[in-house]
Amino acid sequence: MTTTYIGTDHVPAQQKTLGRVIIFIATILLVALFLIQILYKTDTITLGFENWRPTLYAYLLWSIALCWGILLIKGDRGQRALFVLPAFLFTIAMVIFPLIFSVYISLHDWNLSAFEGQKFNGLDNFRALLVDEYYWNSMLNMVYYLVAILFEYAIAFGLALLLNSQIVARKFFRVVFLMPLMLSPVAVSWMLGKSLMEYRFGPAATLARHLGWESPAFFSSPEIARFSIMVLDAWTFIPFMMIMLLAGLQALPKEVNEAAKIDGATGWQHFWKITFPLMLPVSITATVIRIIFKLKLADVVINVTSGGPGGATDTVTSFIFREYRDRSNVGYGTMMAVVYLIIIIILMTLMLKLIDRWMQKVT
Amino acid sequence: MKSKKKINRRQFVKDASTVVAGASVIAAGSGAGLGLFPKSASAANVRRDILRIPGVGKGSPTDSDWQKVGALCLNPTKTRVSKGEFDGVELTFMGLNNQNLHNFLFRGFLKPWEKYTGAKIKWIDLAQADYNARLQQSIATKTVDFDILEMGAPFEGDVCGKGLASEMPNWVKEQIEMDDYVDYLKAPVGTWNGKTYRISIDGDCHNFNYRADYFKDAGFAAAWKAEGHKGAWGVPKTWQKVQEVSKFLKGKKDPTFGGDAVGYLDPCKGWGGFGFYFLASRATAYAKHPNDPAWLFDADTMKPRVNNPAWVRAIQDVIDVLPSQPANQLNADPGTTAFQQFLAGTGSMLSWWGDVGSMAKTSDGSVVGDVVGFDILPGSDDVYNSKTGRWDTLPGGPNYAPNMAYIGWGVYVMARVDSNSKKRKAAWSAAAHLGGKDISLWASAYPSGFQPYRNSHFNIDEWVNAGYDKAFITSYLESESNSYNHPNAAIEPRIPGIFQYYSVAEDELSKIYAGKYDAQTGANNIAAAWEKLTDQIGRKKQVALYRASLGL
Repeated sequence: MTTTYIGTDHVPAQQKTLGRVIIFIATILLVALFLIQILYKTDTITLGFENWRPTLYAYLLWSIALCWGILLIKGDRGQRALFVLPAFLFTIAMVIFPLIFSVYISLHDWNLSAFEGQKFNGLDNFRALLVDEYYWNSMLNMVYYLVAILFEYAIAFGLALLLNSQIVARKFFRVVFLMPLMLSPVAVSWMLGKSLMEYRFGPAATLARHLGWESPAFFSSPEIARFSIMVLDAWTFIPFMMIMLLAGLQALPKEVNEAAKIDGATGWQHFWKITFPLMLPVSITATVIRIIFKLKLADVVINVTSGGPGGATDTVTSFIFREYRDRSNVGYGTMMAVVYLIIIIILMTLMLKLIDRWMQKVT
Repeated sequence: MKSKKKINRRQFVKDASTVVAGASVIAAGSGAGLGLFPKSASAANVRRDILRIPGVGKGSPTDSDWQKVGALCLNPTKTRVSKGEFDGVELTFMGLNNQNLHNFLFRGFLKPWEKYTGAKIKWIDLAQADYNARLQQSIATKTVDFDILEMGAPFEGDVCGKGLASEMPNWVKEQIEMDDYVDYLKAPVGTWNGKTYRISIDGDCHNFNYRADYFKDAGFAAAWKAEGHKGAWGVPKTWQKVQEVSKFLKGKKDPTFGGDAVGYLDPCKGWGGFGFYFLASRATAYAKHPNDPAWLFDADTMKPRVNNPAWVRAIQDVIDVLPSQPANQLNADPGTTAFQQFLAGTGSMLSWWGDVGSMAKTSDGSVVGDVVGFDILPGSDDVYNSKTGRWDTLPGGPNYAPNMAYIGWGVYVMARVDSNSKKRKAAWSAAAHLGGKDISLWASAYPSGFQPYRNSHFNIDEWVNAGYDKAFITSYLESESNSYNHPNAAIEPRIPGIFQYYSVAEDELSKIYAGKYDAQTGANNIAAAWEKLTDQIGRKKQVALYRASLGL
């Protein structure tokens, strides 16, 4: 009997050498171009390219050479590596490098209007951030916005249960309830925030007047404005949670439900003891994704309140947007974004760990 | 600034007669026939003829109309440039595309110019929201990729102050007849260190829009007297009266539309930095002393004045009348106050750019066309003297200081064309064509994104002959021209990053209006943030540029 081991095919030494040479030459070219461009841009040498485009071309060439070289060096195993390597190189170019570059920028004092251009200032931006009350105010607002997800979840679960039951025009309602999700948050801002809830003639304001609210200003007092933004955002994204929960409900094993019915479980017992626990994995997934969406909340706020009144509705992202677009404060704006990213990563990791442990206990 | 909802000036008079442009216009539209008239007659005919394209009540102008206007106004170019002189020259023009105006008009205006001179123009169209970021990135990354730039004067510090613009040749000054500019657009605006860079194509200022029906109302007059107010009931001429009137109107009913009567309208929500202009319009009468060109910063140090008693008084004024304004005023930006409130019949007094006046009769959303009046911004019984730290009462009466907010759009040629004399002449010729005296009249009278900015634009008869209502257009144009030519006009500092200062201030003002701080504390916060910003941008150069922008 003969056994074939994948990847043990013989690769001629000459071919291996050729592969190494190709990678070596491409690497030398890339490194040399990169160094020349850095030295040129820092006015250390006078020879260089007008922009970084040749360096990008060198990276593309190096990527091709790397793939080709690995193929030559490793034979079949190289072919398998080619399934992953282009995606990996693309990720480096589009995700890893920008992230590293962001960290680099965040360590600079760089206002686009500054005469001196960018200046390395170490952790000054971070220290400034620690005492920036706008940043921490928006961070506090994010906590309020995140708490609102609990209510969104409850409503979404209720709607999912409703649409999972045998109600009239079930398919119609499924489509209707999904419609807000299809709208851009910017459209929602205008349709709801600036039209429906308009103080003078908005239908929601008119209804509120009929119900006895004398001055139905939805965005003028801090608490009401924050609540209104929560409502607008919830209106858009509850359908997202609902559709995930509905899919989970439809995947529940029918036998369990039938057994519960036979055992005489009440509606509440049925929900609390069977449906809810079985739905926990889906619920957690939907909630985690919703949290990620919520942490990026900005468009509705920018369009409807500009973060006001008095910063009551500001989010971290809308504040970063102002710092970047209106104030051209690139270094500090990037530091805020980097810190926010790190906080999100830590929080999400911790949360997933805790949920994982809790789930293990529950199950 | 006039970019948000531009006007349709040709409909100022609904029943105005429409006159089709004459045969000379049609002939000129093809580029032929010009120059056949005696010089004086030709100039007058050109102005008359272009105002008939497409004609009042004949619908919105189209690209063919813009081309006809461009062809009719080509004579000044022909006297300085020979046919085909710029063959092979390619220029890049960066400007806005707001409401399909700005660059869209420029394209049409310049097509006959391209045909005649042989030059070609590439276009970079930008939305207003992207403009600042695109410009700043080009400057910061040294990637200026355009030869001609449409730009507002507040950005001059970023461009001219950094040596990126080309100095205007003398022949251009003659061609565009710069002496015709209204006073405030003359030097130092458009100049840096004595060199001229800007061709104005627009003028900007805040004027005072009021509801005439309120101030003619007998019921209000009687109540005013009965409540013991001093003086006769009428249009307020000072901010002190604006405050008094606004508080007086609370609880009363609108005489025309029947809703709640409201006095002055303050925008309390940020507007990407532009919202700060509206506090400035309240503050200039308090802060701009006739003996001092500076009013926002100290000229020698760039120390902010925004927390001095004059500015704090203006902020306090807003706080004081907020209870008399609609309940949602904290979430009202300038777009709301102008288009959803004042033009829609809420409120009786408003500071804004000329758009409100020009839209009052033409916008479908406006209900105030027949009851609106115009004036320069209110004055103040006293003015703060930053040098003595005291409030002065002027012997001549109230202090007026119209706010020249934004100073209007201009066309600039970039320094990168200077190394090529042919290209340089071509770029300046194109810019001069756009900033010509006659073409600017048309742009002032029809939807373009631009307001009147030359003394010759205020010839009322020209407008009336073109079909506009005399009383209305007189009131409107006088409010503009009296602001432009006011000896104590408050000119905006043209320093790098000026909108960064405004944006920071908007955030703090939002907190003040929401009651988080008192006026002085909030103003101190703004001043501290501005000091930090000045240090970040570079205080020494900033001071030098500020002084240059003040003409010191």
